[in-house]
Amino acid sequence: MHPTPGYHGRYLRIDLSIGIAKSVSLEASFLRKYLGGSGLGVALLMKEGAAMVDPLSPEAAIAFVFSPLVGSPLTTSAKFAVVSKSPLTQRINDSLASSGFALTGKKTGNDAIVLVGRASRPSIVLIENDQVRLEPAEDLMGCSNPETQEKLRSRLGSDFQIATIGPAGERLVRFSTISHDGRHAGRGGSGAVLGSKNIKAIAVRGTQRVQWSDQSALVRLAKELSEKSFGPATAKYRELGTASNLLTFNRLNVLPTRNFQQGSFHGATAISSEELGVVRNRTRASCAACTIGCEHLYSLKSGVPVRLEYESLFALGSLCGIDDSEIVLVASQRCDAAGLDTISSGGTIGFAMECAERGLIDAPWLRFGDGNALLRALDLIVSGKGLGQLLAMGSRAMAMEIGCDSIEFAPQVKGLELPGYDPRGLQMMALGFAVGSRGADHNRSGAYEVDFSEAVDRRNVGPESAHLAVESEDRAALMDSLILCKFLRGVFGDLFQESAEILRLVTGWNLTATELRETALRIVTEKKRFNILAGWTPSEDTLPKRMLQTAIPEDARASLSTDRLASLIKAYNLARGWSEEGWLPESETGAGAL
Amino acid sequence: MTVELFGIPRLRAGVSQSIADGSTLGEILLDLARRFPSLGEDCIDGCTLKAGYIANLSGERFVTDPETELNEGDIVLLMSLDAGG
Ligand code: SF4
Repeated sequence: MHPTPGYHGRYLRIDLSIGIAKSVSLEASFLRKYLGGSGLGVALLMKEGAAMVDPLSPEAAIAFVFSPLVGSPLTTSAKFAVVSKSPLTQRINDSLASSGFALTGKKTGNDAIVLVGRASRPSIVLIENDQVRLEPAEDLMGCSNPETQEKLRSRLGSDFQIATIGPAGERLVRFSTISHDGRHAGRGGSGAVLGSKNIKAIAVRGTQRVQWSDQSALVRLAKELSEKSFGPATAKYRELGTASNLLTFNRLNVLPTRNFQQGSFHGATAISSEELGVVRNRTRASCAACTIGCEHLYSLKSGVPVRLEYESLFALGSLCGIDDSEIVLVASQRCDAAGLDTISSGGTIGFAMECAERGLIDAPWLRFGDGNALLRALDLIVSGKGLGQLLAMGSRAMAMEIGCDSIEFAPQVKGLELPGYDPRGLQMMALGFAVGSRGADHNRSGAYEVDFSEAVDRRNVGPESAHLAVESEDRAALMDSLILCKFLRGVFGDLFQESAEILRLVTGWNLTATELRETALRIVTEKKRFNILAGWTPSEDTLPKRMLQTAIPEDARASLSTDRLASLIKAYNLARGWSEEGWLPESETGAGAL
Repeated sequence: MTVELFGIPRLRAGVSQSIADGSTLGEILLDLARRFPSLGEDCIDGCTLKAGYIANLSGERFVTDPETELNEGDIVLLMSLDAGG
């Protein structure tokens, strides 16, 4: 029987311990329930029982998941999701990246690649259509991401696409990434999961293409979507990149600064994209198969271009009090090379800077605003030397080790460091952070969009608005499972309706917007179910105490009490159809879930 | 009235700050479009902002209604709507 168009109808499961790969079929009904990307990934991990095992143990599973749209002419669709239990949060983690790895990985004839077990020695997984083999990787150990990719390309040939971990992943840094061509599956430590399996890289090459249900209509629709992607909804991303958020957030006093001790930064202008664009050479790039091209690269003094996004800029800039753009660019480059998530790196180092200034750790050299200290701390994380061992655990584990109530100002939710949005001044986002299945995250909930609108008073959000956080999360779940880049979201009038049409042309399924809303809810619920099995309790849906006890210093109205956050969370849970505390209805939890 | 510009509005106007005449948001936008044709062309449609852009008053509240009355001392911030990073 032919697979559903858009899919191969199977995934590859590789047991690294015993060196056996097998092809597992995927029923059309299962694919229709979870689509691809994040949704299919969490469903596959549930099948593997991944919630209840140590994510760095051989039993743990990690899934590289493609989607029905990968390989289609639709702009921004060349994406894959890396899904596993996070070693940073011990909860579900789904990180997305865009690159030719998605296009070629799917051409191996699989909708996903699942790795379990642990290779007996450092290895590369080579997948070429139906052929799978492990090759030794001792010679690559310690190499940066770019070095590894370059060496493997010359060894294997340029038609292999290669996802790698850097030294950070090898050393099991809890916030290490998986990288391909400068793009990263960044958050939550998927690099450490791969490192724990002794896998330095996955190389893919293939020739198997999927069918499209209505190819000519799909090409027409893709053309229309590409044309819309040149419009005003994406102008910011195309012309300025995400880094242009910095001055806006600074003006609204929601730019996290010096470990969230302030909401505006004296050095914001010096590190802003506007200033960088004047004093440095700027170039633009894009992910594979993308017409938007939001990547903006700025040259170091040496002339080397470095990709810089808002999240890296705030985390390695204002959050650590750094106003030297050269240092921020060098730090960002080092994170990319070593395979470190920039948000968690900056978040953890900023937290350590505050601990050092308070005398809670013995690191007199580590001070806010000291660029060399930031670079030294990054190097220590990668080498695992001295303070680096503690930093490599992330801010939550570090606070547990330090004690002295430092957990109150560790900038994390469920162990994941906060991105660049101060939740006290963006309270819809505060709710999104608190309930997020992978922790404080701006990609699985785009609730900041509501804060930047007339729909709410961003500094006094009430429970009547909680359904808006639900909608934001559902939209994200759909886009992350289709997969389409979220920077495209502004071009859709009705995302669910238009996605149903896209999927109809790709798969032939006669979907409705209502069914896709149910799909999004199912995916969010499945992530919650995973977390419950992993040990989730309602007490972890919260924010750091600092955010609930003090206002943003520059804006007394930007304060959020424990009680108000609790009322928002309760309203969110009820809007989801869960219990007030966030438990799933008993009938839904599965045997032994509660 | 003082107007501060961010993101694409700043890029189009070529300035980070300006003065505009008017007592409502709509009047301010009309005046800005006259002063900065590129800004007017890409971000402003008559007396309203085009999709993708939003105004904020003094960092306090977001507004779109062109009839919104402005008070003395208000600062109008013009920015790209999409704050995603
Ligand atoms: S908009 Fe940016 S992040 Fe999204 S696919 Fe294009 S280049 Fe990649």
